[in-house]
Amino acid sequence: MNLRESINDAEPMVMHIDLNSCFATVEQQARVRLRGRPLAVVNRLAGDAMVITASYEAKTHGVKTGMRISDAKRLCRGLVVTETDPPKYRYVYHKLLDIMNSYSASVSMKSIDEGVIDFKQAPGHLLSGRTLEQVGLEVKARLKAEVGGAMRCNVGIATNRFLAKTAAGLHKPDGLDVITADNLRKVYAGMKLTDLTGIAERNRERLESVGIMNPLQFLDTPAEVLHKMVFMSVNGDLWHQRLRGWEVDDVETQTKRIGRQFVLDGFTMSFDEILQRLHNLCESVGERLRAQGMSARGVYVGTRTFGMTGDKRRNYWHAQFVSQVPFFSNDTIYTLAKRLFMSAPPDIRDINVHVYLLSDGEDNQLSLFADEYVRSKAITGAVDEINYRYGERTIHAANTLPTNRIIKTKIPFGSTRYL
Amino acid sequence: MFDETTLNERIDVIARFGVGLNPCEPVKFRRPNGREVVVSEIGLRHPTVQGKRTIHVFDVTDGAADYRIEFDSEHLTWQLTRMGDRL
Repeated sequence: MNLRESINDAEPMVMHIDLNSCFATVEQQARVRLRGRPLAVVNRLAGDAMVITASYEAKTHGVKTGMRISDAKRLCRGLVVTETDPPKYRYVYHKLLDIMNSYSASVSMKSIDEGVIDFKQAPGHLLSGRTLEQVGLEVKARLKAEVGGAMRCNVGIATNRFLAKTAAGLHKPDGLDVITADNLRKVYAGMKLTDLTGIAERNRERLESVGIMNPLQFLDTPAEVLHKMVFMSVNGDLWHQRLRGWEVDDVETQTKRIGRQFVLDGFTMSFDEILQRLHNLCESVGERLRAQGMSARGVYVGTRTFGMTGDKRRNYWHAQFVSQVPFFSNDTIYTLAKRLFMSAPPDIRDINVHVYLLSDGEDNQLSLFADEYVRSKAITGAVDEINYRYGERTIHAANTLPTNRIIKTKIPFGSTRYL
Repeated sequence: MFDETTLNERIDVIARFGVGLNPCEPVKFRRPNGREVVVSEIGLRHPTVQGKRTIHVFDVTDGAADYRIEFDSEHLTWQLTRMGDRL
Protein backbone atom coordinates (compact mmCIF):
# COMPACT_ATOMS: atom_id res chain seq x y z
CA MET A 1 0.00 0.00 0.00
CA ASN A 2 1.28 3.41 -0.99
CA LEU A 3 1.24 5.35 2.29
CA ARG A 4 1.14 9.14 2.35
CA GLU A 5 2.66 10.77 5.40
CA SER A 6 1.16 14.22 4.90
CA ILE A 7 -2.31 15.34 5.88
CA ASN A 8 -4.60 15.60 2.86
CA ASP A 9 -4.88 19.33 2.18
CA ALA A 10 -7.13 19.04 -0.88
CA GLU A 11 -10.44 20.89 -0.99
CA PRO A 12 -13.02 18.91 1.05
CA MET A 13 -15.42 17.31 -1.42
CA VAL A 14 -17.10 14.56 0.61
CA MET A 15 -20.34 15.32 2.44
CA HIS A 16 -21.78 13.06 5.11
CA ILE A 17 -25.47 13.53 5.96
CA ASP A 18 -26.92 12.01 9.11
CA LEU A 19 -30.56 12.29 10.17
CA ASN A 20 -30.74 13.20 13.85
CA SER A 21 -32.33 10.48 16.02
CA CYS A 22 -33.95 9.35 12.80
CA PHE A 23 -36.93 7.23 13.87
CA ALA A 24 -37.85 9.51 16.78
CA THR A 25 -37.58 12.62 14.62
CA VAL A 26 -39.77 11.07 11.92
CA GLU A 27 -42.38 10.15 14.54
CA GLN A 28 -42.29 13.69 15.89
CA GLN A 29 -42.64 15.03 12.38
CA ALA A 30 -45.67 12.82 11.71
CA ARG A 31 -47.42 13.15 15.06
CA VAL A 32 -47.50 16.75 16.04
CA ARG A 33 -48.37 16.04 19.68
CA LEU A 34 -45.08 14.21 20.16
CA ARG A 35 -42.95 17.23 19.27
CA GLY A 36 -40.94 18.58 22.14
CA ARG A 37 -41.69 15.45 24.18
CA PRO A 38 -39.17 12.87 25.36
CA LEU A 39 -39.83 9.94 23.04
CA ALA A 40 -38.43 6.44 22.78
CA VAL A 41 -39.04 4.23 19.76
CA VAL A 42 -39.07 0.48 20.33
CA ASN A 43 -39.50 -2.53 18.08
CA ARG A 44 -42.24 -4.05 20.19
CA LEU A 45 -44.49 -2.41 22.76
CA ALA A 46 -44.98 -5.62 24.72
CA GLY A 47 -42.62 -6.40 27.56
CA ASP A 48 -39.49 -4.57 28.57
CA ALA A 49 -38.30 -3.70 25.07
CA MET A 50 -35.05 -2.04 24.10
CA VAL A 51 -34.87 1.57 22.95
CA ILE A 52 -34.13 1.70 19.22
CA THR A 53 -34.00 5.49 19.04
CA ALA A 54 -34.50 8.23 21.58
CA SER A 55 -35.50 11.78 20.75
CA TYR A 56 -33.16 14.57 21.77
CA GLU A 57 -35.58 15.52 24.55
CA ALA A 58 -35.17 11.99 25.95
CA LYS A 59 -31.41 12.00 25.40
CA THR A 60 -31.04 15.06 27.61
CA HIS A 61 -32.40 12.89 30.44
CA GLY A 62 -29.80 10.20 29.74
CA VAL A 63 -31.96 7.86 27.64
CA LYS A 64 -29.77 6.00 25.17
CA THR A 65 -30.15 3.51 22.33
CA GLY A 66 -30.00 -0.03 23.63
CA MET A 67 -31.41 0.83 27.04
CA ARG A 68 -34.35 -1.12 28.49
CA ILE A 69 -37.61 0.81 28.62
CA SER A 70 -37.91 0.21 32.38
CA ASP A 71 -34.47 1.82 32.88
CA ALA A 72 -35.29 4.65 30.48
CA LYS A 73 -38.50 5.45 32.34
CA ARG A 74 -36.62 5.62 35.61
CA LEU A 75 -34.34 8.26 34.08
CA CYS A 76 -37.04 10.18 32.29
CA ARG A 77 -40.48 10.63 33.80
CA GLY A 78 -43.12 11.25 31.16
CA LEU A 79 -41.20 9.31 28.52
CA VAL A 80 -43.50 8.49 25.62
CA VAL A 81 -42.92 5.08 24.06
CA THR A 82 -44.03 4.21 20.57
CA GLU A 83 -43.52 1.29 18.21
CA THR A 84 -41.48 1.48 15.02
CA ASP A 85 -43.37 2.19 11.80
CA PRO A 86 -41.01 1.03 9.01
CA PRO A 87 -42.97 2.38 5.98
CA LYS A 88 -42.56 5.91 7.37
CA TYR A 89 -38.81 5.54 7.74
CA ARG A 90 -38.48 3.98 4.30
CA TYR A 91 -40.33 6.95 2.84
CA VAL A 92 -38.04 9.45 4.55
CA TYR A 93 -35.00 7.39 3.51
CA HIS A 94 -36.08 7.58 -0.13
CA LYS A 95 -36.77 11.32 0.12
CA LEU A 96 -33.29 11.87 1.54
CA LEU A 97 -31.81 9.66 -1.17
CA ASP A 98 -33.66 11.66 -3.87
CA ILE A 99 -32.25 14.90 -2.46
CA MET A 100 -28.73 13.49 -2.34
CA ASN A 101 -28.95 11.99 -5.83
CA SER A 102 -29.83 15.40 -7.23
CA TYR A 103 -26.30 16.60 -6.39
CA SER A 104 -24.02 13.82 -7.58
CA ALA A 105 -23.96 10.46 -9.30
CA SER A 106 -21.76 9.21 -6.49
CA VAL A 107 -24.09 8.72 -3.52
CA SER A 108 -23.87 5.84 -1.09
CA MET A 109 -26.26 5.23 1.78
CA LYS A 110 -24.53 3.76 4.81
CA SER A 111 -27.74 2.88 6.60
CA ILE A 112 -31.34 4.02 6.71
CA ASP A 113 -30.42 7.35 8.29
CA GLU A 114 -27.06 8.32 6.86
CA GLY A 115 -25.35 8.63 3.53
CA VAL A 116 -22.42 10.16 1.69
CA ILE A 117 -22.25 12.42 -1.37
CA ASP A 118 -18.94 12.49 -3.19
CA PHE A 119 -18.86 15.87 -4.93
CA LYS A 120 -15.80 14.93 -6.92
CA GLN A 121 -18.31 13.20 -9.20
CA ALA A 122 -20.78 16.11 -9.22
CA PRO A 123 -21.39 18.14 -12.37
CA GLY A 124 -19.49 21.43 -12.23
CA HIS A 125 -22.54 23.66 -12.65
CA LEU A 126 -24.07 22.39 -9.40
CA LEU A 127 -21.35 24.01 -7.38
CA SER A 128 -20.75 27.05 -9.57
CA GLY A 129 -19.77 29.79 -7.19
CA ARG A 130 -21.06 27.93 -4.12
CA THR A 131 -19.18 26.34 -1.28
CA LEU A 132 -20.06 22.90 0.02
CA GLU A 133 -21.20 24.55 3.24
CA GLN A 134 -23.83 26.42 1.26
CA VAL A 135 -24.87 23.19 -0.40
CA GLY A 136 -25.07 21.57 3.04
CA LEU A 137 -27.40 24.32 4.25
CA GLU A 138 -29.48 23.80 1.11
CA VAL A 139 -29.77 20.06 1.86
CA LYS A 140 -31.04 20.89 5.35
CA ALA A 141 -33.58 23.35 3.95
CA ARG A 142 -34.76 20.87 1.32
CA LEU A 143 -35.23 18.15 3.94
CA LYS A 144 -37.52 20.47 5.88
CA ALA A 145 -39.40 21.57 2.75
CA GLU A 146 -39.76 18.14 1.18
CA VAL A 147 -40.37 16.02 4.28
CA GLY A 148 -41.36 18.35 7.08
CA GLY A 149 -40.33 21.26 9.25
CA ALA A 150 -39.40 19.11 12.25
CA MET A 151 -36.77 17.19 10.29
CA ARG A 152 -33.15 17.92 11.13
CA CYS A 153 -29.88 16.51 9.91
CA ASN A 154 -26.21 16.82 10.63
CA VAL A 155 -23.88 17.61 7.77
CA GLY A 156 -20.16 16.93 7.80
CA ILE A 157 -17.73 17.91 5.06
CA ALA A 158 -14.15 16.71 4.65
CA THR A 159 -11.69 15.11 2.26
CA ASN A 160 -12.68 11.51 3.05
CA ARG A 161 -15.64 9.56 4.35
CA PHE A 162 -14.20 9.00 7.81
CA LEU A 163 -13.54 12.68 8.52
CA ALA A 164 -16.87 13.72 6.95
CA LYS A 165 -18.69 11.40 9.36
CA THR A 166 -16.57 12.71 12.21
CA ALA A 167 -17.50 16.27 11.23
CA ALA A 168 -21.19 15.35 11.12
CA GLY A 169 -20.98 14.22 14.73
CA LEU A 170 -19.35 17.34 16.14
CA HIS A 171 -22.44 19.41 16.82
CA LYS A 172 -25.66 17.47 17.26
CA PRO A 173 -28.43 18.09 16.51
CA ASP A 174 -28.64 20.03 13.27
CA GLY A 175 -24.93 20.79 12.97
CA LEU A 176 -22.79 21.57 9.96
CA ASP A 177 -19.04 21.26 10.26
CA VAL A 178 -16.07 21.12 7.94
CA ILE A 179 -12.79 19.37 8.73
CA THR A 180 -9.79 20.51 6.72
CA ALA A 181 -6.05 20.09 7.01
CA ASP A 182 -6.06 23.39 8.94
CA ASN A 183 -8.40 22.37 11.77
CA LEU A 184 -7.80 18.61 11.83
CA ARG A 185 -5.51 18.63 14.86
CA LYS A 186 -7.83 20.96 16.75
CA VAL A 187 -10.77 18.61 16.12
CA TYR A 188 -8.80 15.57 17.28
CA ALA A 189 -7.65 17.44 20.37
CA GLY A 190 -11.25 17.67 21.56
CA MET A 191 -12.02 13.98 21.13
CA LYS A 192 -11.48 10.69 22.93
CA LEU A 193 -10.29 7.57 21.12
CA THR A 194 -13.75 6.00 21.33
CA ASP A 195 -15.27 9.09 19.71
CA LEU A 196 -13.63 7.97 16.48
CA THR A 197 -15.90 5.87 14.27
CA GLY A 198 -14.52 2.34 14.28
CA ILE A 199 -12.71 2.61 17.60
CA ALA A 200 -14.68 0.78 20.26
CA GLU A 201 -13.44 -0.79 23.47
CA ARG A 202 -11.25 -3.52 21.96
CA ASN A 203 -9.46 -1.16 19.59
CA ARG A 204 -9.09 1.39 22.38
CA GLU A 205 -7.37 -1.26 24.52
CA ARG A 206 -5.08 -2.17 21.61
CA LEU A 207 -4.10 1.46 21.13
CA GLU A 208 -3.63 2.17 24.82
CA SER A 209 -1.47 -0.94 25.20
CA VAL A 210 1.21 0.80 23.12
CA GLY A 211 0.75 4.19 24.79
CA ILE A 212 -1.65 5.79 22.30
CA MET A 213 -4.10 7.47 24.64
CA ASN A 214 -5.89 10.00 22.42
CA PRO A 215 -6.63 10.76 18.74
CA LEU A 216 -3.76 13.21 18.43
CA GLN A 217 -1.26 10.57 19.53
CA PHE A 218 -3.02 8.15 17.18
CA LEU A 219 -2.49 10.62 14.34
CA ASP A 220 1.19 11.04 15.17
CA THR A 221 1.93 7.32 15.37
CA PRO A 222 4.00 5.99 12.45
CA ALA A 223 2.26 3.59 10.06
CA GLU A 224 4.75 0.85 10.87
CA VAL A 225 3.78 0.89 14.56
CA LEU A 226 0.07 0.81 13.73
CA HIS A 227 0.61 -2.05 11.29
CA LYS A 228 3.01 -4.20 13.29
CA MET A 229 2.20 -3.45 16.92
CA VAL A 230 -1.40 -2.27 17.15
CA PHE A 231 -3.59 -3.81 14.47
CA MET A 232 -1.16 -6.52 13.28
CA SER A 233 -2.58 -6.17 9.78
CA VAL A 234 -3.18 -3.83 6.88
CA ASN A 235 -5.80 -2.18 9.09
CA GLY A 236 -2.95 -0.23 10.65
CA ASP A 237 -2.08 1.25 7.26
CA LEU A 238 -5.73 2.03 6.59
CA TRP A 239 -6.05 3.89 9.91
CA HIS A 240 -2.85 5.80 9.19
CA GLN A 241 -4.34 7.06 5.91
CA ARG A 242 -7.89 7.51 7.18
CA LEU A 243 -6.84 9.75 10.06
CA ARG A 244 -4.95 12.01 7.60
CA GLY A 245 -7.97 12.52 5.36
CA TRP A 246 -7.00 10.12 2.56
CA GLU A 247 -9.85 8.04 1.22
CA VAL A 248 -9.66 4.34 2.04
CA ASP A 249 -13.33 3.58 2.71
CA ASP A 250 -14.75 4.05 -0.77
CA VAL A 251 -15.35 0.35 -1.24
CA GLU A 252 -18.39 -1.54 -2.45
CA THR A 253 -19.57 -4.21 -0.07
CA GLN A 254 -21.05 -7.46 -1.27
CA THR A 255 -23.93 -9.31 0.31
CA LYS A 256 -22.49 -12.37 2.00
CA ARG A 257 -25.32 -13.32 4.33
CA ILE A 258 -29.06 -12.83 4.41
CA GLY A 259 -30.84 -13.38 7.69
CA ARG A 260 -33.34 -12.47 10.37
CA GLN A 261 -33.23 -12.34 14.13
CA PHE A 262 -36.11 -12.40 16.58
CA VAL A 263 -36.22 -11.98 20.35
CA LEU A 264 -38.85 -14.41 21.61
CA ASP A 265 -42.08 -12.84 22.78
CA GLY A 266 -42.14 -15.11 25.84
CA PHE A 267 -39.67 -17.29 27.63
CA THR A 268 -41.95 -20.13 28.68
CA MET A 269 -43.20 -21.24 25.28
CA SER A 270 -43.09 -24.80 24.05
CA PHE A 271 -40.53 -26.04 21.55
CA ASP A 272 -43.28 -26.28 18.90
CA GLU A 273 -44.13 -22.62 19.40
CA ILE A 274 -40.47 -21.72 19.00
CA LEU A 275 -40.35 -23.78 15.79
CA GLN A 276 -43.32 -21.80 14.45
CA ARG A 277 -41.31 -18.64 14.92
CA LEU A 278 -38.24 -20.23 13.33
CA HIS A 279 -40.40 -21.23 10.36
CA ASN A 280 -41.71 -17.69 9.98
CA LEU A 281 -38.15 -16.33 10.01
CA CYS A 282 -37.05 -18.92 7.42
CA GLU A 283 -39.88 -17.81 5.12
CA SER A 284 -38.78 -14.21 5.51
CA VAL A 285 -35.14 -15.13 4.80
CA GLY A 286 -36.21 -17.11 1.72
CA GLU A 287 -38.18 -14.15 0.36
CA ARG A 288 -35.23 -11.82 0.87
CA LEU A 289 -32.87 -14.30 -0.76
CA ARG A 290 -35.05 -14.65 -3.86
CA ALA A 291 -35.73 -10.90 -4.01
CA GLN A 292 -31.96 -10.50 -4.44
CA GLY A 293 -32.03 -13.11 -7.23
CA MET A 294 -29.78 -15.41 -5.24
CA SER A 295 -29.46 -18.98 -4.03
CA ALA A 296 -27.52 -20.15 -0.97
CA ARG A 297 -25.65 -23.24 0.09
CA GLY A 298 -25.21 -22.59 3.81
CA VAL A 299 -27.69 -22.28 6.68
CA TYR A 300 -26.79 -20.94 10.10
CA VAL A 301 -29.01 -20.94 13.18
CA GLY A 302 -28.04 -19.43 16.48
CA THR A 303 -29.64 -18.56 19.79
CA ARG A 304 -28.87 -16.69 22.92
CA THR A 305 -30.05 -18.53 25.99
CA PHE A 306 -30.36 -17.89 29.66
CA GLY A 307 -27.88 -20.07 31.51
CA MET A 308 -29.13 -23.32 33.01
CA THR A 309 -28.55 -21.85 36.44
CA GLY A 310 -31.09 -19.14 35.70
CA ASP A 311 -28.61 -16.42 36.52
CA LYS A 312 -29.45 -14.58 33.28
CA ARG A 313 -25.90 -14.80 32.04
CA ARG A 314 -26.29 -15.07 28.34
CA ASN A 315 -25.01 -18.15 26.61
CA TYR A 316 -24.61 -18.50 22.90
CA TRP A 317 -25.30 -21.51 20.76
CA HIS A 318 -25.06 -21.91 17.03
CA ALA A 319 -24.94 -24.58 14.33
CA GLN A 320 -24.48 -24.47 10.59
CA PHE A 321 -24.77 -26.72 7.58
CA VAL A 322 -23.37 -26.50 4.06
CA SER A 323 -25.28 -28.20 1.27
CA GLN A 324 -23.69 -29.59 -1.89
CA VAL A 325 -26.32 -27.97 -4.08
CA PRO A 326 -27.73 -24.44 -3.91
CA PHE A 327 -31.20 -23.92 -2.48
CA PHE A 328 -33.65 -21.04 -2.45
CA SER A 329 -37.07 -22.27 -1.28
CA ASN A 330 -38.59 -21.48 2.12
CA ASP A 331 -39.25 -25.16 2.61
CA THR A 332 -35.61 -26.18 2.16
CA ILE A 333 -34.32 -23.40 4.39
CA TYR A 334 -36.75 -24.38 7.14
CA THR A 335 -36.04 -28.11 6.80
CA LEU A 336 -32.29 -27.53 7.17
CA ALA A 337 -32.66 -24.94 9.93
CA LYS A 338 -35.08 -27.13 11.88
CA ARG A 339 -32.71 -30.10 11.67
CA LEU A 340 -29.93 -27.94 13.15
CA PHE A 341 -32.25 -26.42 15.70
CA MET A 342 -33.21 -29.80 17.17
CA SER A 343 -29.92 -29.78 19.08
CA ALA A 344 -30.42 -26.27 20.47
CA PRO A 345 -30.20 -25.92 24.25
CA PRO A 346 -33.23 -25.08 26.45
CA ASP A 347 -34.10 -21.60 27.78
CA ILE A 348 -33.94 -19.97 24.38
CA ARG A 349 -34.10 -16.21 24.39
CA ASP A 350 -33.85 -15.36 20.70
CA ILE A 351 -33.50 -16.98 17.30
CA ASN A 352 -31.05 -16.00 14.60
CA VAL A 353 -31.23 -17.65 11.19
CA HIS A 354 -29.34 -16.75 8.09
CA VAL A 355 -28.18 -18.23 4.82
CA TYR A 356 -24.72 -17.82 3.33
CA LEU A 357 -22.44 -19.00 0.51
CA LEU A 358 -24.65 -17.00 -1.81
CA SER A 359 -24.56 -17.29 -5.56
CA ASP A 360 -26.48 -16.09 -8.56
CA GLY A 361 -29.96 -17.62 -8.53
CA GLU A 362 -29.48 -19.37 -11.87
CA ASP A 363 -28.19 -22.89 -11.34
CA ASN A 364 -26.41 -23.91 -14.51
CA GLN A 365 -25.36 -27.32 -13.26
CA LEU A 366 -28.56 -29.21 -12.61
CA SER A 367 -28.22 -32.20 -10.37
CA LEU A 368 -29.72 -35.65 -10.86
CA PHE A 369 -32.78 -34.25 -9.11
CA ALA A 370 -33.39 -31.64 -11.78
CA ASP A 371 -37.12 -32.37 -11.97
CA GLU A 372 -37.50 -31.70 -8.26
CA TYR A 373 -35.51 -28.47 -8.63
CA VAL A 374 -37.64 -27.21 -11.51
CA ARG A 375 -40.86 -28.08 -9.68
CA SER A 376 -39.71 -26.35 -6.50
CA LYS A 377 -38.70 -23.28 -8.49
CA ALA A 378 -42.10 -23.12 -10.22
CA ILE A 379 -44.06 -23.43 -6.96
CA THR A 380 -41.87 -20.94 -5.12
CA GLY A 381 -42.14 -18.51 -8.03
CA ALA A 382 -45.93 -18.79 -8.05
CA VAL A 383 -46.16 -18.17 -4.30
CA ASP A 384 -43.82 -15.17 -4.56
CA GLU A 385 -45.93 -13.78 -7.40
CA ILE A 386 -49.12 -14.01 -5.32
CA ASN A 387 -47.44 -12.47 -2.28
CA TYR A 388 -46.08 -9.67 -4.43
CA ARG A 389 -49.49 -8.96 -5.93
CA TYR A 390 -51.65 -9.25 -2.81
CA GLY A 391 -49.23 -8.39 -0.03
CA GLU A 392 -46.55 -10.20 1.93
CA ARG A 393 -47.56 -13.40 3.70
CA THR A 394 -50.78 -13.79 1.73
CA ILE A 395 -49.58 -17.37 1.29
CA HIS A 396 -47.44 -18.87 4.03
CA ALA A 397 -46.93 -22.15 5.84
CA ALA A 398 -49.98 -23.10 7.90
CA ASN A 399 -48.05 -23.60 11.13
CA THR A 400 -46.78 -20.01 11.03
CA LEU A 401 -50.33 -18.60 11.19
CA PRO A 402 -50.17 -17.79 14.94
CA THR A 403 -46.95 -15.82 14.37
CA ASN A 404 -48.31 -13.36 11.82
CA ARG A 405 -49.12 -10.73 14.41
CA ILE A 406 -45.99 -11.38 16.44
CA ILE A 407 -43.16 -11.30 13.91
CA LYS A 408 -43.26 -8.13 11.86
CA THR A 409 -40.81 -6.81 9.34
CA LYS A 410 -38.48 -4.42 11.08
CA ILE A 411 -35.98 -1.93 9.84
CA PRO A 412 -32.64 -3.60 9.28
CA PHE A 413 -29.74 -1.62 10.72
CA GLY A 414 -26.50 -1.19 8.85
CA SER A 415 -27.96 -2.26 5.55
CA THR A 416 -30.09 -0.59 2.92
CA ARG A 417 -30.52 -3.68 0.76
CA TYR A 418 -34.16 -4.21 1.62
CA LEU A 419 -35.38 -0.59 1.69
CA MET B 1 -46.81 3.80 26.38
CA PHE B 2 -49.23 6.50 25.39
CA ASP B 3 -52.88 6.78 24.71
CA GLU B 4 -53.80 6.02 21.14
CA THR B 5 -56.95 4.45 19.70
CA THR B 6 -56.99 2.19 16.66
CA LEU B 7 -60.05 2.79 14.47
CA ASN B 8 -61.49 1.53 11.22
CA GLU B 9 -63.94 4.22 10.11
CA ARG B 10 -64.90 5.13 6.57
CA ILE B 11 -64.86 8.92 6.40
CA ASP B 12 -65.94 11.70 4.05
CA VAL B 13 -63.00 13.88 3.14
CA ILE B 14 -62.50 17.20 1.43
CA ALA B 15 -59.01 17.30 -0.04
CA ARG B 16 -57.13 19.81 -2.13
CA PHE B 17 -55.30 18.49 -5.19
CA GLY B 18 -52.73 20.81 -6.66
CA VAL B 19 -49.17 21.15 -7.86
CA GLY B 20 -45.98 21.30 -5.83
CA LEU B 21 -44.37 19.09 -3.23
CA ASN B 22 -47.67 18.07 -1.63
CA PRO B 23 -50.12 17.52 -4.47
CA CYS B 24 -52.85 16.06 -2.24
CA GLU B 25 -53.80 17.71 1.05
CA PRO B 26 -56.80 16.64 3.11
CA VAL B 27 -58.54 19.79 4.36
CA LYS B 28 -61.26 18.37 6.57
CA PHE B 29 -63.10 15.13 7.18
CA ARG B 30 -66.36 13.93 8.71
CA ARG B 31 -66.55 10.85 10.90
CA PRO B 32 -69.52 8.44 10.91
CA ASN B 33 -70.69 10.01 14.18
CA GLY B 34 -71.11 13.30 12.31
CA ARG B 35 -68.16 15.05 13.95
CA GLU B 36 -66.14 17.23 11.58
CA VAL B 37 -62.39 17.58 11.93
CA VAL B 38 -60.61 20.48 10.27
CA VAL B 39 -56.99 19.64 9.48
CA SER B 40 -54.64 22.33 10.73
CA GLU B 41 -51.37 20.56 9.85
CA ILE B 42 -50.24 17.54 7.90
CA GLY B 43 -47.37 16.01 9.83
CA LEU B 44 -46.29 13.50 7.23
CA ARG B 45 -47.67 11.80 4.15
CA HIS B 46 -46.16 8.49 3.23
CA PRO B 47 -47.17 5.64 0.96
CA THR B 48 -47.51 2.03 2.03
CA VAL B 49 -48.18 -0.93 -0.19
CA GLN B 50 -50.50 -3.86 0.31
CA GLY B 51 -49.47 -6.10 -2.54
CA LYS B 52 -49.88 -3.93 -5.62
CA ARG B 53 -52.31 -1.54 -3.87
CA THR B 54 -50.88 1.76 -2.73
CA ILE B 55 -52.32 3.31 0.41
CA HIS B 56 -51.34 6.92 1.13
CA VAL B 57 -51.09 7.49 4.87
CA PHE B 58 -51.59 11.01 6.21
CA ASP B 59 -50.69 11.82 9.80
CA VAL B 60 -52.65 15.00 10.52
CA THR B 61 -53.75 17.12 13.44
CA ASP B 62 -56.61 19.51 14.13
CA GLY B 63 -54.65 21.14 16.93
CA ALA B 64 -56.43 19.18 19.64
CA ALA B 65 -55.72 15.60 18.59
CA ASP B 66 -53.64 13.69 16.07
CA TYR B 67 -55.26 11.44 13.46
CA ARG B 68 -54.07 8.95 10.90
CA ILE B 69 -56.20 8.88 7.77
CA GLU B 70 -55.51 6.61 4.81
CA PHE B 71 -56.37 7.01 1.15
CA ASP B 72 -56.71 3.79 -0.84
CA SER B 73 -55.62 4.77 -4.33
CA GLU B 74 -57.23 1.71 -5.91
CA HIS B 75 -60.67 1.98 -4.35
CA LEU B 76 -60.56 5.79 -3.89
CA THR B 77 -61.73 5.48 -0.29
CA TRP B 78 -60.65 7.19 2.91
CA GLN B 79 -60.35 5.53 6.33
CA LEU B 80 -59.68 6.96 9.75
CA THR B 81 -57.38 4.36 11.31
CA ARG B 82 -55.86 5.96 14.40
CA MET B 83 -56.50 8.79 16.81
CA GLY B 84 -54.55 10.12 19.75
CA ASP B 85 -55.39 12.99 22.08
CA ARG B 86 -52.84 15.64 22.89
CA LEU B 87 -50.63 14.60 25.77
